[in-house]
Amino acid sequence: MTGAIPTIVLVGNPNAGKSSLFNALTGARQKIANYPGVTVERKAGHASFADGRPAALIDLPGSYSLTPASPDEAVTRDVVLGRQAGERRPDALVVVVDAANLDNHLCFALELIALGLPTVIALNMVDLAERDGLTLDAERLAAELGVPVVPTVAVRKRGLTELLAAIDGAILSHQTQADAIPAPPPTDVALHQRARAIARVATLAETPVRRWTQRVDAVVLHPVAGFLILLALMFVMFQAVYAWSEAPIGWIEDGIAALQGVATDALPDGFLRGLIVEGLLAGVGAVVVFLPQILILFLFILLLEASGYMTRAAFLMDGLMAKVGLSGRGFIPLLSSFACAVPGIMATRAIPDPKDRLTTILIAPLMTCSARLPVYTLIIGVFIPNRAVGGLPVGLQGLVLFGLYVAGIVGALIVAFVLRRSVTKGSAAGFMMEMPRYQWPRLRDVAISLWQRAWIFLRRAGTIIAFTTVVLWLLLSFPKAPADSELRQVDYSVAGRIASGLETVVRPIGFNHDIALALIPAMAAREIAVSALATANAIDAGDDEDQVAMSLGERLQGRWSLATALAFLAWFVFAPQCISTIAITRRETNGWKWPLFMVGYLFALAYAAAGITYWTAVAFGLG
Amino acid sequence: MIAKLDSAPLGMAVRIARIDWDILSHDEGRRLREFGLMEGVEVKPLHRGSLFSREPLALGIGRMQVIIRGRQAAAIAVEPVETEPAAAA
Repeated sequence: MTGAIPTIVLVGNPNAGKSSLFNALTGARQKIANYPGVTVERKAGHASFADGRPAALIDLPGSYSLTPASPDEAVTRDVVLGRQAGERRPDALVVVVDAANLDNHLCFALELIALGLPTVIALNMVDLAERDGLTLDAERLAAELGVPVVPTVAVRKRGLTELLAAIDGAILSHQTQADAIPAPPPTDVALHQRARAIARVATLAETPVRRWTQRVDAVVLHPVAGFLILLALMFVMFQAVYAWSEAPIGWIEDGIAALQGVATDALPDGFLRGLIVEGLLAGVGAVVVFLPQILILFLFILLLEASGYMTRAAFLMDGLMAKVGLSGRGFIPLLSSFACAVPGIMATRAIPDPKDRLTTILIAPLMTCSARLPVYTLIIGVFIPNRAVGGLPVGLQGLVLFGLYVAGIVGALIVAFVLRRSVTKGSAAGFMMEMPRYQWPRLRDVAISLWQRAWIFLRRAGTIIAFTTVVLWLLLSFPKAPADSELRQVDYSVAGRIASGLETVVRPIGFNHDIALALIPAMAAREIAVSALATANAIDAGDDEDQVAMSLGERLQGRWSLATALAFLAWFVFAPQCISTIAITRRETNGWKWPLFMVGYLFALAYAAAGITYWTAVAFGLG
Repeated sequence: MIAKLDSAPLGMAVRIARIDWDILSHDEGRRLREFGLMEGVEVKPLHRGSLFSREPLALGIGRMQVIIRGRQAAAIAVEPVETEPAAAA
């Protein structure tokens, strides 16, 4: 040992539990879920051996071999072979294999062992293998493979001490030996035959594959019933976003109103009070109230990801995706984009075909992300009556929200269809994917992920949204309109004048001065549209007691026609108003060409969709 | 009797007799082999398609399930398994 901290790399097949093991060893909280391709980039962390010596741990995307098929798998090859820029060869490999799928996972393990680096096998998920009626002989497996094998259950932190000790031992014994000459990699077929032979001798007892998962799949993957279940799941998700959030939203609203009251009483009338009450609290508060809805949405997505249903959904959607030139593989990043397009676009790295991947990136912003929820729910809450539809236990508001999601999906499919026949033309994308076994979502993991999402949302509210809101408040408050001015303060101010300029462009599609004002700061993030409306509203209300008592919703109802409100919703189905999405698209496509294309086509679509909605609504007398 | 995997009945184990590697792309062929789909291996077609299409195909192979499209399945010739069908999975 040269005294340097050893670098240990976790590597193995997709969905073997590498990230779970990484989290268990380092205390990190990397995303884990039950589908192949969750981890798409290299992640580093720190672990320590029993005696306290540190080790650098690297988690890698899953791969089937050292020959990559997609961008994420290329990272795995480069790190393992020491080709990654700025990184030396790893000091040890921990090959994570799924104990219940040795036949397959041992192939990559054999290829990795042949590299001649100090190697330890983590025989992971031994509990699930036992559940499935498999009894394995770890010692026999170690003898056959010629490297230590440690049974682990990463999510229950079982086998970690033994694993670290084995890694330590492997590194030490490797140094005392003369450098082993790596064996030439055998052919695929020979590898598989050896893997199967080794799996056979290491398996002491085996019962047939468990029947219950097959029974579940018989329904869930049924060509008709399975698709209806998928639709029903999504429908329930959007109903729940409304039905379950009412009470907690009320608590948050009361809390913010109380804070505003405290601030109003404590501060003298003036600049600071205006800034805090009208700017910060009104603006940020208008966004924070949507936390419960966003968490409900995330809860559903997390459960779908953790259970193994995501790949089933991809299977069901593949037929439809194929018709527009994409693959079922792309459905997973798109469904993730319901939460946020940024991780969704990152997740496309697991798509092998470059044109398929690019198209999926370009349509990801059409998936209704959680930042649109505040906009949608505010407008729906104000303009769509809260009643059941036709005596069914289905709320009209939830139905409209569902419709907006569907509009995004249908829009995305049409755009993909057009793109695949024009700018991203190429051979038909394939779809080859492993289907994971079902697993019960673990409460702790779900809770941690929800907490992380809540924190991200609140941090956004406290930073970018608070900052934009304060800037907007300043621009709305100055210069002060003279007492005899015919213009309202929000129209007279700097921001108001800029908005009046924009208004001439958006007036044909039914947008008013309020909307023009909200659209500009909302370029940073969509939910700022809501905080901007709230801030402008608070300034407009000024000190008029009756006006202040009115909620943002009540005021909008008086100032906007239904046609305008619907056009505003249609705009947000398409408009690419999110700096982070544009930035991640630039990074993932290595240049400005595609993000600019994306922003251009989405704004054009948004304008057209809002216009068509407005003119249609006006024709029906809703103007 | 040899049939193509894309038309094999669901729920019945079959043995891969031959794979026409030439009509598959290099990457497709490799991924099939990485899934363990190669001559002599037993597979069981489990699910096929949805409302929209007769694709993709979910296959049981050993203890794992994989999804492939009809194009790849069409390159795979299969024959019935002579032994007890219940023994295969």
